Amino acid sequence: MVVVPKTRKEMPVTTLSVPTIGSAGKTGFWRDFRPVMVELVSPCTYDCPANNRLPQIFEKIRDGKLEEAAKIFLETNPFPSITGRICPHFCEEHCNRSEYDEAVSIRSIERFLGDYILERKGEAGFHEISTEKGKKIGIIGSGPAGLSAAYYLRKMGYNVTIFESEEKPGGMLTYGIPPYRLPKQIVEKEVAALTKMGIEIKSGKTVGEDIKFEDVQKEFDAVLLAIGAWKERDIGISGEQLMMSGLEFLGEVNKGLMEPPGMDVAVIGGGNVSVDVARTLKRLKAKPSILYRRTEKEMPAISEEVTKAKEDGIEFHFLTQPVDASKKNGKIVLKCIRMRLGELDASGRRRPIPIEGSQFTLEFDAVIKAIGEGPDTTWIPKKFLNEGGWMKVDSATGVVGENLFAAGDLISGPATVVEAIAAGRRTARSINQYLRGEEIRPEVPLEKPVKIEGINIEYYEPKERAKASELPPEERTKSLDKEETSGISLEKVQDEAHRCFSCGYCRACDICWIFCPDGSVDLENGGKPEFDYDYCKGCGICSNECPCGVIIMEREEE
Amino acid sequence: MQSTKFMESIKELSKEEYLLRGHIACAGCGPAIGLRLLFKALGNKIILVVPACCSSVIPGPYPYTSLAVPVQNIIFEATGATASGVVAALRKKGVNDVTVVGWAGDGGTFDIGIQALSGAAERGTNFIYVCYDNEAYGNTGVQRSGATPYGAWTTTTPTGKKERKKDMPFIMAAHRIPYIATACPSYPLDFVKKLRKAKAIKGTKFIHLLAPCPTGWRYDTSKTVEIGRLAVQTGLWALFEIEYGRFKLNPPSDQLIDKEKRRPIKEYLSLQGRFRKLTDDDIEKKQKWLDEDWERYHKLASNNASDLALCEEI
Ligand SMILES: Cc1cc2nc3c(=O)[nH]c(=O)nc-3n(C[C@H](O)[C@H](O)[C@H](O)COP(=O)(O)OP(=O)(O)OC[C@H]3O[C@@H](n4cnc5c(N)ncnc54)[C@H](O)[C@@H]3O)c2cc1C
Ligand SMILES: Cc1ncc(C[n+]2csc(CCOP(=O)(O)OP(=O)(O)O)c2C)c(N)n1
Ligand code: SF4
Ligand SMILES: [Mg+2]
Repeated sequence: MVVVPKTRKEMPVTTLSVPTIGSAGKTGFWRDFRPVMVELVSPCTYDCPANNRLPQIFEKIRDGKLEEAAKIFLETNPFPSITGRICPHFCEEHCNRSEYDEAVSIRSIERFLGDYILERKGEAGFHEISTEKGKKIGIIGSGPAGLSAAYYLRKMGYNVTIFESEEKPGGMLTYGIPPYRLPKQIVEKEVAALTKMGIEIKSGKTVGEDIKFEDVQKEFDAVLLAIGAWKERDIGISGEQLMMSGLEFLGEVNKGLMEPPGMDVAVIGGGNVSVDVARTLKRLKAKPSILYRRTEKEMPAISEEVTKAKEDGIEFHFLTQPVDASKKNGKIVLKCIRMRLGELDASGRRRPIPIEGSQFTLEFDAVIKAIGEGPDTTWIPKKFLNEGGWMKVDSATGVVGENLFAAGDLISGPATVVEAIAAGRRTARSINQYLRGEEIRPEVPLEKPVKIEGINIEYYEPKERAKASELPPEERTKSLDKEETSGISLEKVQDEAHRCFSCGYCRACDICWIFCPDGSVDLENGGKPEFDYDYCKGCGICSNECPCGVIIMEREEE
Repeated sequence: MQSTKFMESIKELSKEEYLLRGHIACAGCGPAIGLRLLFKALGNKIILVVPACCSSVIPGPYPYTSLAVPVQNIIFEATGATASGVVAALRKKGVNDVTVVGWAGDGGTFDIGIQALSGAAERGTNFIYVCYDNEAYGNTGVQRSGATPYGAWTTTTPTGKKERKKDMPFIMAAHRIPYIATACPSYPLDFVKKLRKAKAIKGTKFIHLLAPCPTGWRYDTSKTVEIGRLAVQTGLWALFEIEYGRFKLNPPSDQLIDKEKRRPIKEYLSLQGRFRKLTDDDIEKKQKWLDEDWERYHKLASNNASDLALCEEI
């Protein structure tokens, strides 16, 4: 607000000889460049498969508006209480703050907000449901992909029914990921909230067995296949029938099994399933060893999990490939061969090559294999499948054909919860477009994110990132369902939101305003700058100083 | 680096403006930022005394003015004398809630105005004198002044000035006035705080504001705040106060006593066209002087300024 005394009377204090207060002319015409406020993509939003709008969420947290923060979160991810616990946090990987000191603890903030939401989810009005559309959607599979699609479709006003072959909904959230990482009550509460929104879940109903797929396709206006990837791959060696499947083992434990299959247990594979199996075995008082044919560096498992497995005291046999299994005196004898690493393969990792004559044997009470999973599509009509048995699908929209859609691990192969959630949301969008008779278009891909060079780091000071506390190994290995990672306090959450550079999103800091030599920045619009082009001379100080990189200088037309 | 509280604290500054839009300072003018900050600190219950300098031009041609406070525009050399007169007049009229502020350039302070300022200080005139220092005669087309630093180009030092800059704050310290401070618009909260402190102290207060000038210093107009920041971070401009004779470095300068913490002066010099002709020898010389200055600051900061001209609290 500019105070312009217009008369001599309005002049403050003692009046000397007074010329007319005001400007002799508009200085805007001096300008070659004009400052323009833009909204750009942050690295965290860009890297998050669900494109969670994190800087926007953190702004609300800084302002203490948790409910508004929660609502922005729910626009892209309905289950932050889950991803806040077990997501590999792609968002933190290229956080610009990591080039300054340490990445923002995004996942911990997400968990806090997720729990905040979960406490309120049952409350009426938390999820507004738009007017009923009168159309029915069938979803096959209640993993994160199916649940996420169900959430968004229900919010749009569709009638949603989910078919789930297992007794409990949740897919891998319930039967895969162990409880010490993801407490089952969290999943149960999330599911309960969905039911409260009016989503019907038919558990214990396997499509293709209990119900004919054709009938489902006929009964519903649109059908989403989200059946995950539950078929354990074979290693292809003799004696394989002596081994248990890692997924089956975890499934049994998640259903209540408390006995390990033996004392010395080999776990074959280097992915998340293998690490979860080994760490679960440890908690059942067994002595697990992970056998992997490459080295730690090539392990596809989340690296934090590998570190924790080592802390838990799990043994690793790297560069070890089993070639034969047999039974002897009640033990399983694994013949193995030593590997070495060769050239890069298609996955960008170094290919393991057997070293000739390096055979050796290892003995175990039981062997569990977890070398990768694929979808079971045997019951899906052949016309929807390609030669490899995978769904024929446009992965950007989830469109299969007829009234069918697909999402999640089913089409991507084993991936992550957040990818399944994102796929569920995008496919819900496609289904809506389909049911409205619109052209089905994929979401527009985001522009490349802001780099640290765009941020004026002078306005931040080094501050350690908030770390969630972890149970020490000797404590956590005693219990299967005691959550090993804890949340952080609201105070720390707000500190983290302050640490955020707010890359590409105006943080209403007033810095452009304080430094404008021409006083030509207005902040009346919620503290976000508006430039008075009548007087702004286009010096560019605002753009140079902006701590979020959101003011760009555009050349004026001639 | 500013403190994290920075963003919150600037929000608390007044949104009232007394340097209005439409003034005719160059784009990116450092002194214009300084003027805005002056009003943020002191409000409009002030009388400005402005000699011939850029700031007498900035408000625009008569009959208009962009300065929405009472201003006494006076001759180049008379800031100290005129301010003394205004202070005396206000006292006579019984007005005691108005702050008198001299706002003069470096030419009007270091050179032609030094005797009037010295006299006012010697008489203990109750006013704030702000010397906004753009290190040359900006108004008349960039001629050298006593404030122009060694090696800098001006139109009258085409191959770079051969003399060193005067140490104005310490000249003022020798007057035993109660408050002397340095500041820079790149650190707005520091400047505002010092102005408010000065207002509360009785007697002559001298604030020396380094105010980067894109036109005279030959740099891109968007870099004004950055260059001021670099002046401080390299140690070329130390933020300090001498309060009743007591010397104190202020943040972030107080963290720069250790030479390692100061950024290389080249970062500051290389951004400015006026230093283009500096040789490596010149830079080494400047570095040596700078290090000597900091040794002095270090001593002053650690021994409670006992060797400074002392000022007794009035
Ligand atoms: C052990 C383990 C640990 C993991 N850890 C992590 C982790 O830490 N972080 C992370 O992000 N991701 C992790 N993942 C991966 C993640 O769980 C999956 O990517 C994700 O669950 C895939 O979701 P989805 O909905 O596609 O499938 P799923 O979660 O697999 O759900 C598919 C559902 O479909 C049901 N279904 C299948 N066929 C039928 C049928 N014919 N009729 C009815 N229902 C059917 C299944 O019972 C299941 O409930 C882990 C996976 C495993 C196995
Ligand atoms: C006695 C006298 N000599 C010369 C001038 C011309 N003159 C007006 S302003 C100025 C220079 C001012 O320089 P400075 O005080 O540094 O202020 P700046 O213009 O840089 O803001 C000069 C030389 C004058 N007005 N009076
Ligand atoms: S600093 Fe903030 S906005 Fe930038 S990448 Fe990190 S979390 Fe995202
Ligand atoms: Mg000058």
